[in-house]
This record gives sequence, structure tokens and C-alpha cells, in this order.
Amino acid sequence: MKFELPAAVYSPQLLESVIYDVQYYLDWTRQNDIRKQMGVAVKEEPNHSAETVLVIEAWLNGKPATLEALEELLDYLKGLKLPEVHITLAALPNRNQRETLVKWFRNNAKSQLLLSFVADRNLGGGIVIRTPNRIFDYTWKRQLVENRDKIAEITRRV
Amino acid sequence: MNIVIIILAALALTFGIIMVLQNTQLRRLTLKLKEYETKPRPVQVSEPTVAQLEAKLKSSYEAKIGEATQSFGTDLQATSQKLSEQVSRLTTTVIEEELEAYHQTLEEVRHVATQAMDQIHQAIEHQRVELRQGMESELAAEKKQLAAKFDAKMGDIVSSYISESLGSGVDLGAQMQFILQSLEAHKDDIRKDLTGEV
Repeated sequence: MKFELPAAVYSPQLLESVIYDVQYYLDWTRQNDIRKQMGVAVKEEPNHSAETVLVIEAWLNGKPATLEALEELLDYLKGLKLPEVHITLAALPNRNQRETLVKWFRNNAKSQLLLSFVADRNLGGGIVIRTPNRIFDYTWKRQLVENRDKIAEITRRV
Repeated sequence: MNIVIIILAALALTFGIIMVLQNTQLRRLTLKLKEYETKPRPVQVSEPTVAQLEAKLKSSYEAKIGEATQSFGTDLQATSQKLSEQVSRLTTTVIEEELEAYHQTLEEVRHVATQAMDQIHQAIEHQRVELRQGMESELAAEKKQLAAKFDAKMGDIVSSYISESLGSGVDLGAQMQFILQSLEAHKDDIRKDLTGEV
């Protein structure tokens, strides 16, 4: 079964965070193995973010968390080259709104990609999507500017 | 016998003398004739004869002069006619040649003028086309610049209006329906761009 990044890891920052957590967990696992061999008390298992847990679970898919499996996961995550899409909205989306947008992009555009969100109040409403090659502007501001003839017409009428 | 001889001798002598005398006379006559030939003697003419001769001479002279005058007049008339014909012919030929040369020159000048006019027309047309293209491109550039300026200004106005109207209360939840509809409407374009499809 092909591994897919969970929807919760949607941004480059989250991916970096997951890579850091996995690296930290791998280091802890190695040190813990040595400690066990030396008969020294082991350290507490480090806390991971919810996203990291989801990634590790998805990667292991029920298999035991061996050192090799974690190393493979780390290499995989470091080698990932996913397209990044920057989304600008009138305000920063909440968790539900982010998940809705991420799901939409992964289901309709590309299954594996990273999204980053930026807020710009001047847009009024709508969305700006900046892909590696293009900018898709579906904002109210854009619509108002494109239909400026109507503004003039309405102004005259009023 | 002697007598005979004497007589004969006397005869011969006589004959000889006669011969000498005749010869002498002949010589004198010859000399006189020569003298007459070299020195003519004035002719003695009488008065009536002179008058008659003068009258004849005068009439003859007048007749000759009349003939000469008539002949000269005839010659002069013929010569004048020939001369007139010659002058007329020469004049006609010269005028024709001059006219031909004039026509040729006029044709050349007309040809050169036509060429010059054609070149001028071409240059004017070329200049007109260049000017028109330049003006059109300048107008298009100016129009584009004005449109861009207008867009920027309108964008600023709309942004300011939106910002001031909405304040800080942007309800993204209310917009999600519009956002998802926009995404659905342009789903193919977004997917093609992200997947690299053409």
C-alpha cells in the first residue's frame, strides 16, 4: 500500500515539525537502545504532536516501530518534494475551514501537496491560489475591479 | 662662139642685176609691210559715218543691256524661287527636327517627373504607414498604461472601501460556500496546473 501524507499535515511548516519530531524520536530510540544495553535507566518517551503520531501510525500501518522503519520514514519525509500551494483569504481559516480546503485540494487537485495560508483583509472575500506556475484570483476585490464598468454605471444611476 | 658666150654672159649679168633689184624692192616692201603692221595708221572716218556708227553702237549696246537685264531678271527670279524653296524646305526640316527633339525632351522630362512623383508617393505612403503604426502603438501603450493606472487606482479604492466597510469582522465561514463554488468552477484549471497536464 502506498503511503500518503495524512491530511492533517498540510503545510510545509507542519511537515518540518513532523520531520523534527521523527528525528528526535529516532535519536531517543537509539539512545534508549544503548541505555538498555548498558543497563542504564531509560528516558521518558518524548511527546509528539498529533500530526507526527498520525504520520508514524500511517507509515507503520500496524507494524512494530523498529529503528529501521523510523529511519526509512525519516528518509522518506526528507526526500519528499511536494508542490506547494499558497492560499490567501480575507482572514486566517480556523481548523475546520483549513481541513475543508485541504481535503478539497487533495481530493480534486492533487492527492499529495502542501498548503500554506495567508490572510489579507483587503481582499474582502474569496480566495487567491498561488501554485508554482500560476495565480488564480477568485476574490471579491478582483470581481469588483473586473466589473468596474458596473460601478460607474451604478454610480451614474444613483 | 665667143660672141655667144659674151651674149649669154651679158644676159646672165642682166638677169642677175634684175634679180638683185627685185630682191631689193621686195625687201623694202616687206619692211614697209612690217612697219604698217606694227604701227597702224589712223583711220580717217567721216562725221556722218561716225554718227551712224555711234547710233548703231548705241542701239546695239542698249539692246545688249536689255537682253542682259532680262536674262539677269529671269535668273534672279529663278534663283529667288529656288532659294525660297530651299529656305522653306530647310525651315520645315529644322522646325520638324527641333519639334521632334522638343517632344523627345518633353517625354524624357515627363518620364523623370512621373518617376519622381511615384517615388514621392511611395515615400509619403511609407511615411504615412510608419506614422500611423507609431501613433497606433503609442496610443495602445498609452491606453494600456491608463488602464493599468485605472485598475491600480480602482483596486486601491475597492481595497480601501472593503477594509473600511468590513472593519475587522470578516466572517470566513459565510464565505466558504462562495470559496468552494469558485474552486469547483475552476477545478480543472487548478488540477492541470498542479499535475502538469496540458
